[in-house]
Amino acid sequence: MNAIIETRMLNFRYGAQEAVRDLNLTVPQGSIFALLGPNGAGKTTTLKALMNIVEPSSGEAFVMGVPTTRLGPAEFQRIGYVSENQELPEWMTVGAFLDYCRALYPTWDAAFCSRLTEQFQLPLDRKLKQLSRGMKMKAALLSSLAYRPRLLVLDEPFSGLDPLARDEFISGMLALVDESDWTIVISSHDIEEVERLVDWVGFLEKGGLRLCEPVAKLQERFRRIEVVLATGAVRESPPRLPHADWLDVSVQSHALRFVESQYQADETNRRVQEIYPDAKEIQSSPMSLREIFVALARCPQTSSLKK
Amino acid sequence: MLPFQIQFKPGQTVYGQVVYGAKKAIVSGLLRPADRFPSVRQLSQELKINPNTAHKVVSALIDEGLLEVLPGVGTVVAKSPAPNRPARRELLSNEVERVVVEALKLELELDDVTSAVAQTWQRITKAKL
Repeated sequence: MNAIIETRMLNFRYGAQEAVRDLNLTVPQGSIFALLGPNGAGKTTTLKALMNIVEPSSGEAFVMGVPTTRLGPAEFQRIGYVSENQELPEWMTVGAFLDYCRALYPTWDAAFCSRLTEQFQLPLDRKLKQLSRGMKMKAALLSSLAYRPRLLVLDEPFSGLDPLARDEFISGMLALVDESDWTIVISSHDIEEVERLVDWVGFLEKGGLRLCEPVAKLQERFRRIEVVLATGAVRESPPRLPHADWLDVSVQSHALRFVESQYQADETNRRVQEIYPDAKEIQSSPMSLREIFVALARCPQTSSLKK
Repeated sequence: MLPFQIQFKPGQTVYGQVVYGAKKAIVSGLLRPADRFPSVRQLSQELKINPNTAHKVVSALIDEGLLEVLPGVGTVVAKSPAPNRPARRELLSNEVERVVVEALKLELELDDVTSAVAQTWQRITKAKL
């Protein structure tokens, strides 16, 4: 696995507050990587540190093998960055803005740019300040796609976009990955909109990385489990917290429910039987990325699961 | 437009669902031998899925002999795609699993399920004649 992004013990503090804590993040080249986590988990700060917009308090970060604090024009000509609150030269028309960007990037692909302009239905003669939020985001994306960057970094690109604009935005992203050499990093607090796109996820929680792995592996090891207990046995709560791998445990009348984060049919069944020898039936169902994300967010690793 | 449609369901892998959808299209005759199969790029863009996943889907279908690559033409449905029996049976596994789970919930026995299947089978095949 070739890493296009790598951080080692990255820390970032705003005053006394730790926004990013001992972060060791690796993004494999050729992946569509989602950086997930609740609001305030440190996603935006991490991406800003990677783009050398903010300087880390300590630790190291590398993008395309270059320490982020030494990223210069040569690297930025191969990186596209679009953030939720991107500042655009509002007084410019779309056309003037694109011409301006074009001059900055030797690899600018004029044909690709016109194709995307048409696909995004961007009015070249309108001023940026006259555009809707969705249109502005599309203009920002276009200006970052047209030079065919090797690495595209998108910070909450979908927030506030209507479904149609979101669809067009995703098509534009996928048009880039026609080429062989690309990686996309997307941060989001809601995975639903990119669930089918991403093949790697990193989950940030309170500035630290809780997990970082291929989506396929994640979906393999997470299962929602429901156990039907012998009739007549009514429990109010589990006798003790069984396993750290079990999230969101609840017992209601005859059923025990939890999310198994290290699912292996035999092992999961054995553990259930151990605690509830009268377990009648153990059902497991696969979970969507979104459900996994919600279960993780609901059960922070740092806090005790006992209620 | 793709020659087949996929209604994505949450919880199942994208890869598994697209392979399943493509196989179903081939087995059911929606896609016939020598028909062009969508390219990785088309699959990715139309279904809005990761191109790596689309690539894995096409490779898996080629490996299984359902698709073949014709130089200068592209990827097409293989000439003798009639998948063997185990392959066709596997396409039914999702449905079978659902029936078995429901049967267990209702505390039925295997015999109850097989005889129910047999009855339905006869009713439907008879209706066809």
